[in-house]
Amino acid sequence: MSDVTLYHWEPNANSGKPMLALMEKGVEFNSHYVDLLDFDQHKPEYLAINPEGTIPAMTHGDRVLTESTAMMEYVDAAFAGPKLMPDDPKDQWRIRWWMKFMDQWLAPSFSMIGWSVFIGPMVRGKDPDMLKAAIDRIPMPERRVAWRKAIYGTFGEEEMKESQSRVALGIRMLEEELSKREWLASDHYSLADVNGFNIAYALPLSQPDLSNDEKTPHILEWLRKIYERPAAKKTWAMGKTDLAARIKFLERS
Amino acid sequence: MTMVLYHGDPNGPSLTVLAALFETGHDAELRPIDLTMGERHSDTVPRNVEVEMSIEGEGPVLVADGEPMADSVFIACYLNDSATMSPIAPQDPFARWQMMTWCRQIIERVAPAAAYLGVKARLADKLSALDDAVFEKLIAPIKSGDLKARWADIRAGAFDEAKIDDSKAKIKAAVEKVDTQLSDGRDWLLGDFSIADLETYAWLSGMRDIEPAAFESATRTGAWIGRMQARPSVARTLSLAKTTAPHQTWAPGPEINRWG
Ligand SMILES: N[C@@H](CCC(=O)N[C@@H](CS)C(=O)NCC(=O)O)C(=O)O
Repeated sequence: MSDVTLYHWEPNANSGKPMLALMEKGVEFNSHYVDLLDFDQHKPEYLAINPEGTIPAMTHGDRVLTESTAMMEYVDAAFAGPKLMPDDPKDQWRIRWWMKFMDQWLAPSFSMIGWSVFIGPMVRGKDPDMLKAAIDRIPMPERRVAWRKAIYGTFGEEEMKESQSRVALGIRMLEEELSKREWLASDHYSLADVNGFNIAYALPLSQPDLSNDEKTPHILEWLRKIYERPAAKKTWAMGKTDLAARIKFLERS
Repeated sequence: MTMVLYHGDPNGPSLTVLAALFETGHDAELRPIDLTMGERHSDTVPRNVEVEMSIEGEGPVLVADGEPMADSVFIACYLNDSATMSPIAPQDPFARWQMMTWCRQIIERVAPAAAYLGVKARLADKLSALDDAVFEKLIAPIKSGDLKARWADIRAGAFDEAKIDDSKAKIKAAVEKVDTQLSDGRDWLLGDFSIADLETYAWLSGMRDIEPAAFESATRTGAWIGRMQARPSVARTLSLAKTTAPHQTWAPGPEINRWG
């Protein structure tokens, strides 16, 4: 049995980042599925591991790691296997810049759309008293607000519009970046691609008018190239919901 | 080829990068600019998408091998990783994870809060005193729409009560975290001196006269601030100030993060 355990949800967004990084490195790990739609991430057993109540978390021996992007850097540095960070410190800077851009700018806007059209409707039908209790248990106040808006469908028009325009700009920026180089932020397949893929695979699905073979050929080619990798196939095969199953659109015909 | 660093007065991200430069011993030509007057967007500073869309807001720009770089923590990592001895970042993967995670929390929670309170106290009046035409010219070249909007809000004095309260709470929590971290008697936040000390000091030291209550009982934090100021790299950085109180220089920073 491996001394690495990953607490994750679907191969998607922050959960998918360390899943794909571990697969690329060939690290065996125990998979502990945390059902986000059942609010497992706010239950005492999980809060004992990550008191912030967010996914993913990883244990390696008696070490506990959170923060998916820093966790991926750890995975890359601590285990043997193909390097997911090029040696050049300048490339590393650019990779970190783009990961931060994804994590703190594009992903929050994109996930507002995801939470309102996907996550909200998926949990809305549950028992109202259970939902209220579940919201009350959430440790981070900002997340309590976000869950309330998702469940009751009360994201504001203005914030949705802003998220939509950020996603549109983010798509244009990614297309531009990927037309300069084969991979995101450097000439090597790296953590920036692992990070970026976990958000960007859903862009053509969610925003078909903005991201498609005509308008963003470089994004689509990059996504297909990543999905072709055995590590990506293995990672997405771990999905249990339709969210992960949608990835099939990237299969080359 | 020597590097060129365009930096503001030593506070916030400019402080982190200047001190990181001195800690790592790289040769760089220093070019001071006034971040509080939007000079980072003037033609004198080389820009690319990473500079223009940096979510750090108004921070320094390091040009190395012709490539402009933004985001203070990552520039500091670059300076460390291209130096010979890894002087300000641990090489052990787990210690590095601790440093990156610590810095991420500063970047995501403390920096937006400090910048919000800082510009309210130190920049809003200065901007509102500008003629409309001067201000319009200042913000016209800003490519990031959200950064531009923050400039306009600051000038208009449009500060949200909930965000002010949230920012004060974030500063208080950060000082508590620092004080707890130092409770075993260590000198530096993560054991060895690192970028985490620089980035934390850079955003918190200017909060002492804006949110004094947060620091009142934090004696260990006070002593750590003293050690930081005595460090040659930080002392040298502070000596570059163009104003008498560089910790009172605040330019628009990162936006307040909505997901916590
Ligand atoms: N900065 C953290 C964020 C983790 C995070 O927000 N994860 C999301 C899933 S992608 C989550 O746990 N959402 C559920 C919740 O907030 O209840 C990281 O990168 O690991």
